[in-house]
Parts: sequence; C-alpha cells; structure tokens
Amino acid sequence: MSKKVQAIYLWWHKPVIDQELLQSLPNLKVIANSGVGMDHLDLKLVASFGVKMANAPRAVSSSTADTGMALLLASARRLVEGYHIAMSSGMEYCEADFLGVEVTGATLGIIGMGSIGYKIALRAKAFEMNILYHNRTRRKEQEEQAVGATYCEKIDGLLRRADFVMVVVSLTPQTHKLIGKREMELTKPTATLINISRGAVVDQEALVTALQTGVIGAAALDVTHPEPLPRDHTLLKLKNVIITPHLGIKTDKATYMITEEAVENMLAALNGLPIPSEVLPS
Amino acid sequence: MWYHRPVINEELLQSLPNLKIVASSGAGIDHLDLKLLSSYGVKVSNTPFVVSTDTADLGMALMLASSRRLVEGYQIAVSPDTEYFPADWLGAEVSGATLGIVGMGTIGYKVAERAKAFEMKILYHNRNRRNKEEESAVGAIYCKKIDDLLQQSDFVLLSVNLTPQTHKLIGKRELELMKPTATLINTSRGLVVDQDALVEALQNKVIKAAALDVTYPEPLPRDHPLLKLKNVIITPHIGSATKKTRRLMMENMTESIQAGLAGLPIPNEVL
Repeated sequence: MSKKVQAIYLWWHKPVIDQELLQSLPNLKVIANSGVGMDHLDLKLVASFGVKMANAPRAVSSSTADTGMALLLASARRLVEGYHIAMSSGMEYCEADFLGVEVTGATLGIIGMGSIGYKIALRAKAFEMNILYHNRTRRKEQEEQAVGATYCEKIDGLLRRADFVMVVVSLTPQTHKLIGKREMELTKPTATLINISRGAVVDQEALVTALQTGVIGAAALDVTHPEPLPRDHTLLKLKNVIITPHLGIKTDKATYMITEEAVENMLAALNGLPIPSEVLPS
Repeated sequence: MWYHRPVINEELLQSLPNLKIVASSGAGIDHLDLKLLSSYGVKVSNTPFVVSTDTADLGMALMLASSRRLVEGYQIAVSPDTEYFPADWLGAEVSGATLGIVGMGTIGYKVAERAKAFEMKILYHNRNRRNKEEESAVGAIYCKKIDDLLQQSDFVLLSVNLTPQTHKLIGKRELELMKPTATLINTSRGLVVDQDALVEALQNKVIKAAALDVTYPEPLPRDHPLLKLKNVIITPHIGSATKKTRRLMMENMTESIQAGLAGLPIPNEVL
C-alpha cells in the first residue's frame, strides 16, 4: 500500500510529516497543503526526499481577511460581552455604561501586507480607517494609493499610532515572537491587538502581562500557541480578550476552493508539470 | 432624553408648563407622540446623522459574527471541556455573498459602502430609488419589490425607521420568501419584525440564522424563545454605543436645546 502513495493532501497539519513517514513512502512525489501557512513542515527534510511541496495561497485570502475584520469589529464593539448580557438570565448592567470604541475613522496598523493583509486594507478603507502598514518590502505606489495605506519602514512608527494592530505575517524564524514586551509597550494603552497569523508570532506571556497591566487595551486572537490553549491558561480568563478556534478559512466556500487548488498542484506534480503554488525550502 | 426616558405623556407635559424642547438621543423617534408634543407647543430634535457610521459598523459586525459563527467559536475556544478544535466545523463566507439592504437611508448606504469592500453583491429596497451615481458608487441594484430582494439574498439587513408602514414589515410571508440559508440582521427596531413569526422561522429552519441588535421589548423576557435558539445572536441595542459617538450625540443635543431656548432655528429638528 505504501508504495502506491504518490501524493499527500495535508488537512489541518495531519498526517505529521516526519522522517519515518517519508521513508515509508518511497513513491511520494508531492505534499499539497490546505491553506497557506507552511510552518508545520520541515521544508528541507521533505525536499531532501525529492518530494515537492505546494500551498494554497489564493483560496485563503478573502476568508482570512474577513476573519480579521470580524475580530476587529467584535472586539471594538464588545460584541461577545454584549451577547452575554442580552442572552443571560438576570445579569445586571447599566446601559449607559456599556460603550465600545469606534471603528470608522480609527487607525489600523497592518503588520504583514501580503495578499491577506492587502485584502484587509481594502475592507478597512471602506470603514474610512486610516491605514498604516509594515512589511518586509514596500508595496507599489498605486497599490498604496488604492487603499490609502502609509508605509512604516520601522514597526515602531506603526505601533505608536495604531488603534488596532493586525498581525498578518507568515511564521518564520524572523517573525517568531515579533510582537513581544518591547512592541506592546510601544502601542497606545487603548490599542487592540488582533492576531490572525500564528500564535508563535506573539510572545504570549508578554501579552498576558500587557493585558493585565493595561499596557494594551484588548486582544482578539484567532490563533494561539498551542491550539487549543491549556484550559487553565490565563488568556481564557481575561475579560478584554476574544479567542476564536482558528476560524481563518473555515467556510464552506474556502475549503472547497482550497481543495481545488491543492488538487491542481498535485496533478501538476504527478504529471511532471510546473506546480502553480510550489513552495521551496528557502 | 436618553434611552426613551423620561416617558413623555400628557401628564408630564401638563406638569411642565415652560417646557420648550425635547432633545432625543439617536435617530429613532418612534417612542415620541409628535402630535401630542406639537399640541403643547414643544419642539423636538433628534441626532440622526451622527449615529450612522457606528450603526453601519455594528450591522457589519453582526453579519460577520453570525456567518463565521464567532460567538459559538469563542465558546468552544474558552470552554473547560474543549480538548481540540473540530476539523469539520465551518461557517459561511461573507466575501462575495449577496446582501439585501432593506432601507437605504444614511445608515443603509453606509452599510453598502462597507459591504462593497467585501466584494458582496448588493441589492436594496427603499421607498425611493437612489440616483444612478449613488447606486453605481456601491454597485447596488434596486429591487422595487421587496420579494425580489428576499429571494436572492444570503443576508437581509434591515435599516428602516419604525413607522406604521414598516411595523411588522418582515413577517411570515417575507421570511418564507427568504433562502433557507439566509441570515436576517436587524439594527432598526424590534417591531419592524414579527418576532413570533421569526421564532417559528428559525425553529423550522425556514431561514438559517438571525442577528439582532434590537428586539421588542428590550430586553426580552428571560424565558423568551429567541434567547434559547442556537442560531441567534442578540446584542443589547449597542448600535451607537461608542464613546466618541455618544459624546457627539450629546453635543448635538445641547446645540439643539440651546437653539430651542433662544428661539433660534433648531438643528436636527423633527417636524
């Protein structure tokens, strides 16, 4: 059976691709990932077995951008808290005290302006948000103008001015703990951190401290490290935190499109053709 | 006047002979008997425009939260019983879906501007058609008959005023015209929807879900069926509940009051 396997479609990081598995599948030609993140794969190891790899970057961007906006709005307007007040039996609260923060006209700082980050900018522009972005490379002028985005060469500039900080980078050795104690201390005390990239991009311990001591105002996390968090983790108990179970691309439409993209990649690899979304070990 | 208090009735008006103006917070004036106030020579003002972006933002927030199952997801993420996140748990996509806006006033139009950025197809139904430039700016298609909008929309968003004409605008008939996969979003007034018909529609899967910032009454009695349905999100009328907007509302109201007391033309007067 194992000699027949030529392609693997990875769904939510399963199966785990390790030395043992790769050795047991001598005719494996391609591993196609569902989704865009490849941080769970040892790219060099896989390449050393002569196996090609591909991700699904096109299908994920709108759904993930939507998730980012959903979290931004839910956090700013205290939607989850509001839901509990409206639905619960006998919770006392004073209507006039229940206030959120305005989204329209606020400043959004996007860290990581790839295709997902850019789609977030397109959406945020419609909310008349002032958009700052930080990226490894600067986008073209027309792209910046189309969304009214201002480039911040240094992340500090973005952190100081943003009301909402949205993290949309790939997880790499360079972005590991990109947002740590130093970065959080630079943000406004009223700022909200939104993470839709990978849990490990944020220094989680530092985040807990920052939230508890009022260094930042709130957080909305679609990703954590690990997923799910241990049930006694402090992040689960903080009032100013929303956590969602890696909603990212969990829609019927996106999962369909991701699978289509993955199949395209696998068929190309099996037929010896150029792979549309090939990922090479850097 | 905040949160519809104090209640303006005959008794109150008789006891306040020198009352010149009632400044009401927010856009809605359905809680005021305008004829009665006018008969006592009392002027009325509201704050219709300053609430519009916040209400539009909340409409978008409810649509996204509902379709992506954000509240359910949050409960899974923090529940003490969660061991892993289920792989077959999916929401519905907002980007590229069809949004039907019922009531294309200031708030409805701002919703359309936001929805366009999500590449949504936008249909709208309104007493009057908007002009061509306004329609093409947001890519909105006019539906003269509400039925056409209801039959084609994945999300139906209500942003009308409450008037005798819009009372129970969305009832059993309208709900049955909607797609079984559709979501109803209400940021206008609870009474625009026939609530009993809505409960039945949700229980029988005539529509998929509802997200309501407004109900009748507010709050609902604690044993109301809407509070028990899994496919319903309710928020406690927070359409305009941001610090900045509340401040602006107060500024508008003070302006109106000062003008009213000085006998000058009143900004945001309701006639």
